[in-house]
Amino acid sequence: MTGASPGDEQHAQAERLLQVWKIPTGWRYWSAVNNEAVGLWYIATSFFFFLFAGVLALLMRTQLAVPENELLSADLYGQTFTVHGSVMMFLFAIPMFEAIAVLLLPQMLGARDLPFPRLSAFGFWCFVLGGIFLCGSIFFDAAPRGGWFMYPPLTSGYQPGIGADIWLLGFSFIEVAAIAGAVEIVVGVLKCRPPGMRIHLMPLYAWYALVASAMVLFAFPPLIVGSLLLEVERAFGWPFFDPAGGGDPLLWQHLFWLFGHPEVYVIFLPSVALVAMIVPTFARRPILGYGWIVLSAIGTGFLSFGLWVHHMYTTGLPGISLGLFSAASTAVAIPTGVQFFCFLATLLMGRVTRSTPMLFVFGSLAIFVLGGLTGVMVALAPFDFQAHDTFFVVAHLHYALIGGAVFPIIAGFYYYFPLVSGKMLSDRLGKLAFWLMFIGFNVGFLPMHFTGLRGMPRRVYTYPAGLGFDGLNLVSTIGTFILGAGVAVLVWDLVRPRSRQPPAPRDPWSAGTLEWVQEMPGKPWGIRSIPQVDSRYPLWDQPNLVHDIDAGRFYLPDAEEGLRETLVTSAVDARPVLCQRLPGSSFLALAAALTTGGFFIFGTFHWWRPAVASLGAALAVILFWLWTGTARRPEKDEKDVGSGLKLPLYASGPASIGWWGMFITMLADLTAFVSLVFGYFFFWTIHDEFPPTPNPGPGVFWPGAAAAALLTSWGATVLARRWNRRDRAFGCHAALLGGAGVATAGGAALIAGPVVTGLDPASHAYPATVWLLVLWTATHVAIGVVMQLYCCARRLVGHMTAQHDADIHNVVLYWHFTILTVVITVAVIAGFPLLA
Amino acid sequence: MGNNVNRGWAAIGALVAGTSALVGCSGPQSTLDPAGRGAARIAELFWGMTAGAVAIWAAMIGLALYTVARRRTEPSPRAPALLIVGGGVVLPIVVLTGLLAWGLAALPPLLAASDSDRTIVVTGEQFWWRVRYLVPGGEAVELANELRLPVGEAVELQLESRDVIHSFWVPALGGKVDMIPGRRTRLTLEPTRTGVFRGVCAEYCGTSHARMAFAVVVSDEQEFARWLAQQAEPARPATEPLAVRGQELFVRSGCGACHTVRGTVADGVIAPNLTHVGGRLSVGAGLLASEPDGFQHWIAAPERLKPGSAMPSFAMLPADDLQALAAYLEGLE
Amino acid sequence: MTTEHQEQRESLWILTAAPAIWLSHFLLSYITGAIWCAKFAGSDGSLGAVRVAMAVYTSVALGGLALIGWRGRRRTSASPRGEAGASDRFLGHASLLLSGLAAVAILYASLVAVFIRSCR
Repeated sequence: MTGASPGDEQHAQAERLLQVWKIPTGWRYWSAVNNEAVGLWYIATSFFFFLFAGVLALLMRTQLAVPENELLSADLYGQTFTVHGSVMMFLFAIPMFEAIAVLLLPQMLGARDLPFPRLSAFGFWCFVLGGIFLCGSIFFDAAPRGGWFMYPPLTSGYQPGIGADIWLLGFSFIEVAAIAGAVEIVVGVLKCRPPGMRIHLMPLYAWYALVASAMVLFAFPPLIVGSLLLEVERAFGWPFFDPAGGGDPLLWQHLFWLFGHPEVYVIFLPSVALVAMIVPTFARRPILGYGWIVLSAIGTGFLSFGLWVHHMYTTGLPGISLGLFSAASTAVAIPTGVQFFCFLATLLMGRVTRSTPMLFVFGSLAIFVLGGLTGVMVALAPFDFQAHDTFFVVAHLHYALIGGAVFPIIAGFYYYFPLVSGKMLSDRLGKLAFWLMFIGFNVGFLPMHFTGLRGMPRRVYTYPAGLGFDGLNLVSTIGTFILGAGVAVLVWDLVRPRSRQPPAPRDPWSAGTLEWVQEMPGKPWGIRSIPQVDSRYPLWDQPNLVHDIDAGRFYLPDAEEGLRETLVTSAVDARPVLCQRLPGSSFLALAAALTTGGFFIFGTFHWWRPAVASLGAALAVILFWLWTGTARRPEKDEKDVGSGLKLPLYASGPASIGWWGMFITMLADLTAFVSLVFGYFFFWTIHDEFPPTPNPGPGVFWPGAAAAALLTSWGATVLARRWNRRDRAFGCHAALLGGAGVATAGGAALIAGPVVTGLDPASHAYPATVWLLVLWTATHVAIGVVMQLYCCARRLVGHMTAQHDADIHNVVLYWHFTILTVVITVAVIAGFPLLA
Repeated sequence: MGNNVNRGWAAIGALVAGTSALVGCSGPQSTLDPAGRGAARIAELFWGMTAGAVAIWAAMIGLALYTVARRRTEPSPRAPALLIVGGGVVLPIVVLTGLLAWGLAALPPLLAASDSDRTIVVTGEQFWWRVRYLVPGGEAVELANELRLPVGEAVELQLESRDVIHSFWVPALGGKVDMIPGRRTRLTLEPTRTGVFRGVCAEYCGTSHARMAFAVVVSDEQEFARWLAQQAEPARPATEPLAVRGQELFVRSGCGACHTVRGTVADGVIAPNLTHVGGRLSVGAGLLASEPDGFQHWIAAPERLKPGSAMPSFAMLPADDLQALAAYLEGLE
Repeated sequence: MTTEHQEQRESLWILTAAPAIWLSHFLLSYITGAIWCAKFAGSDGSLGAVRVAMAVYTSVALGGLALIGWRGRRRTSASPRGEAGASDRFLGHASLLLSGLAAVAILYASLVAVFIRSCR
C-alpha cells in the first residue's frame, strides 16, 4: 500500500465492488441473479412447499384418526397422499438442498458467486412455476392420484384426467431445473474454490454437495425418460407399459426406482453435510476422520445406485436378484454409519457447547439411527415381503428422512440464520420447537411400525374397526399434530418481526469455516477479497484473516472495469487459473423459465400449438441469452487480480467453466439415453422374440446411411475447430455449413428408416421403442445443427476468433456425445435385429 | 439442556413401554401372530433383528449423551481411532455379514415351490379377488374374495391381474407378492393352524384400494375337501317364496350379464361368481357381513361403499325388491 | 508441480475407480442372473452357470481393487512430507479406503451365489 491514504483507496474499491454486485431494487429486484437473492428465494419457496405438504399430511392423519372416517373421500385421499409425497420429494427435499447450496457454497468457498448465476436463477424460476402448477392442481380436484411412484397401468390406462399428465410433465420440467442446479454445484465445487483450498481442505459440505449433485446427474435422467415414455403412452397410445401391446409395467418400476433410491441419498447427504459443518463448531475442534467422511459420502453415493430393486422385492423377480440387492442394501449401511461415528468421535474429543443447532443435531441422530436400523431390516428381502407397502415402511422412511434431512436442515436454519438476516433466531423458541417436534414425531411415527406389522397397508383412505389399528392410529394422529405445533413455533421464529432485535455479532458461534467471514448483515459481494486458504478452518488457524480480507489485501479486491468477477482455480490443488467474468442481473432467466414452462404446461392440456410455439420462444430466448451472455471477448487478455498475480480473462476448452458445464450436462443426457436403450433390451429379455418376427424394420440401409452422414458432420465440426484455431475462416465456415447440411440429411435418413418400413409405434412396444430412439437421436442432431450454425454466426460477427474459441470447443464436445448417441442408436436399431 | 434431555428420554421410554402395551401382537391380520410357515420364519427374523437394532440404537444414543455429559475425564487419545474404526467399520461389518447370511439363508425356503399338485389361481381385479381352484380334467371351481386352504399343506398360488397392479397379502400366513398385468407371479403358503385370517391388497390399485380385502379360511383336510366338493356343485334353486322372487329379479335386472350363478342362465364373467355367495364370509370384498342386510346395502349403494367399483347401483329398485334379491343371494350357500 | 491437465487425469478420477469396479461387478452379476433366468433357464431353472460367472467376476474385481488399494497406499507413503504432498496423501488414503469398502460390498454380493441356487 503506497498511496497517500490507503483508507481512501480501500473505500473507493469497496464502493466500486458494491456498485457492481448491487442487487436491483423495486420491481427489478426479481431480475437479480446474485446467489444471496436467488438462494434466499429458493429456500423460502421450498420451505413454503414443505409447509403445504405438511398440511396435507395433517389432513391425512385426521382422516385416519378413527376407523371408517368420512372426512376425505377415497379419491381426495388419493390426491392428498400423492401430492404430499411428490411435493415433499420434488418440491421440498431436492430443491432445499440446491437452495442451501446456492446460498452457502459461494460463501464457504470464498467465491463471489456460483459459476453460472443466471442458470441458478433459471432453475429457481422453473421450480416456482412447476411447483405452483402442481400444488395448485389439488384445489381444482385435478391433482395426480396415482401415488408419488405413479405405477402404470393404473396411471396410464385407468386415470383419464389430467392429474397424471400434470405429474409427468410438471416434474420433468422441475427435474430439468434440478439437473441445471446440479451442474452448477459440481462446477462450483471443483473450479471456484479460493486459491490454496486444495481438495483435502474443502469444507465437508462441499464434498457432500459434490457427491449429491453428481448423483442428481445420473439419477434424474432415468425418471425423465420414464416420464417421457409414460406421457407418450398416455398421449399417443405407444404401448410401453401396456402388456396388451407388448409393454411391461415393470419397466416403469425399474426406471422410477433407478431414480427413486439414489434420490433418498441425494436428500440425505447434503443434510448430513450441515451436521458435518455444525459439529466441529460446537465441539470446538476440527472434525475427526475427514477422510472417512469423504469415503462415506462417495461410497454411499455409488452404492445407492445398487439399491433400486429393493423397492421391487415383491414383484416376483428371481431370488438371485433379490439377494444381490439385499447385499448392496446391507453394504450401504457401512458408509452411512461411519460418518456418524466420526461425528461422535469429534464430539467426544472436543468440549461440547450446548446450543439449539446441536439440540437438533442430537435429535437427528436419535431419529435417523432408528430409521437406518429399520432400513437394514427392510433391506433383507424376506422381512420386506411382510413389511413392504405397510405402515412399517411409512414409519421407516419418515424416520430416515425427517431424522436424516428435516432435523439437520432445521439445525442449519438455526445455525446459518445470522448469515441471511444478520440476526439470531430465538434460543427459547428453538428449544420449544425442538421438544414439540421431537416428541410429536416419535409419538406419531413410532407406533406406525406396529400398525404396519399388525397388517395395515399403506395408501388406504380408511380401515375397518377392530383389527388392532384403532388405538395406534389415534396415537399417531395426536403425535403428528404435536409435531405440527413444533413446526408452527419454528415458522413463527423465522418470520416474527425482529426490527428491535440487536444484530448478531460477526461469526456468532466462533466457527472456523470461511462462510463466517461475512459481515453482519452481509454485503452482496459475498466476500470483500478472495483469500489464500491453507487450512480446513481458516478462521481458527489463519491469524488476521478477517482483517486482511476486509482490508482487501487478497485477490479481486476491486472492480475497476465495473464487471462481476470471480476466480477459477484448478480442481485438485486450487491454483488460480482464470479470472472469470460473471453476468449481472437480467430478466432473461425468468423469460427462459416462462417459455420453457409454457411448453410443459400447455403440453399437459395437450394444447400442442401453443406448446410448440412456447418451445420455439424458449429456444429463441436461450439463444439470445447465450449470444449476449456467454463467451464474451474481454477487452484485454489478462489482468492483475491482486497480490501481483496476473490471470487470463478468457479460456476455452477444459480450462473454461463453460466446457465443464457442457461436459457434465452431457453426462446426464447420456444417462437418459442409456436408460432408453435399457428399455429396448429390457423388452428383449421379457419377450421370446424381440424384435417380433417377421422382422419389421427399420432395416439396415437408412440407419446406416444416417450413421455415415452424421459421422461426416461430426468430423466436419472437429475440423472446423482446428481450422478456426489456425484462423482459416473460409475452411471453418465451409466445414460448419457443410456439416450442418450433412447432419440435416443424416437426421432425415434416421427418421426415414422407421417411416419407410412402416413401423407403427402405437401397435407394439418394439416399434414404439425404435421410434423413440430415433426421435431422441434426431432431436440431438437438430440441436447440433443449430449449434453449428450458431458458431458460424459467432465467427461472422467476430465474437469467435482464432484465440477466442470457447463456442466451438463446447460445440465439438456436444458433437462427441451426440455421435456416441448416434452410433449406439444405429447399432441397436439396425444391428441388434441381425443378431437376435 | 441436560435436565431437558433426561426428561425427553424418560418420555421416549414411557412411550415405547406404552406402545408395546397398546399393541400386543395378535389379530386376524397380524404378521406377528403367524399361522403359516413363511410368516413364522419372517417373524423370527423380525424379532432377532429388532433385539439387535434396539441394542445398537441404545449404544449409539448413550455414546452421544456421554459426549455432552462428560465433564472432567479426558478421553484417551486412542479413543477416536477406536470409535471410528471399531464402531464405524469393524462392528458393522461383523454384524451385517451375519445378518445378510441369515437373510439370504431365509430366502430360498420362502421362494420354494410346493410339492402339492393343487393349483389355485387368484386374480386381482379393481377391487376384488377372483379365486379359481383348477381341477385336473374338470371345470375350474370359481369363487370370489375368499380362499380356503387345508392346514399343513404347502400350496402354490398363481397370481394374476386383469387390470392394474395389485398385491396379494395374507399377513398371518406369509409375505406378499404383487399381481402384475401381463405376468404371472407365484406364492407358496403353508398354513400351520386352522382359523380365519384376513388378507388385503397391499399395492395401491386405485380409489378403493382400501376396500379390497378377502378372507382366508384354513380348515383340516376333510373339511376342506367337503367344502371344495360342495363349491363344485351348481347352485341350488331358490325355494322360499321371497328368494324365488329374488331369483326372478336377478335375471330380470340383468345381473347375469356380469355375474355367474352356475346352474342358472346367469353366466357373466366380468364380476364375481355368485354360485355359492351365501356361504361366504363377506360381501363386497371384506366390506359387509354376508347377511341379508349386507347384500341389500351393497346392491343399493356400491358406489358409496366402494368408490370406483364397476358394480352399478340398484338403488332405484323398491325396498321389497332389494329384500327379495338379498334373500335369494343369501340363500345361495 | 504437475500441469492442470495431468492433475485432472491422475488425481480426482482415482476416487471413482474403486466404486466403479463395485458398480460394474454388481451390474454384471445382476444382468447375467436376470438374462439367464429370463431367456435361458426359465423361472424354475438352476443357477449353475451364473454362479460360476459370478465367481469369475468376483476374482477379477477383487484383483482390480487390490491394485487400486496398493497404488493408493504407495501414493500415501511416497508423497512428499508436509503440505506439499498433503492432497496426494489424502487422495491415496481415500482411494485405499474406497477399495476396502468396494471389496466388502463385492464380497457381500458374492455371498448371494453361496445361498441362492435356483432362478425361483
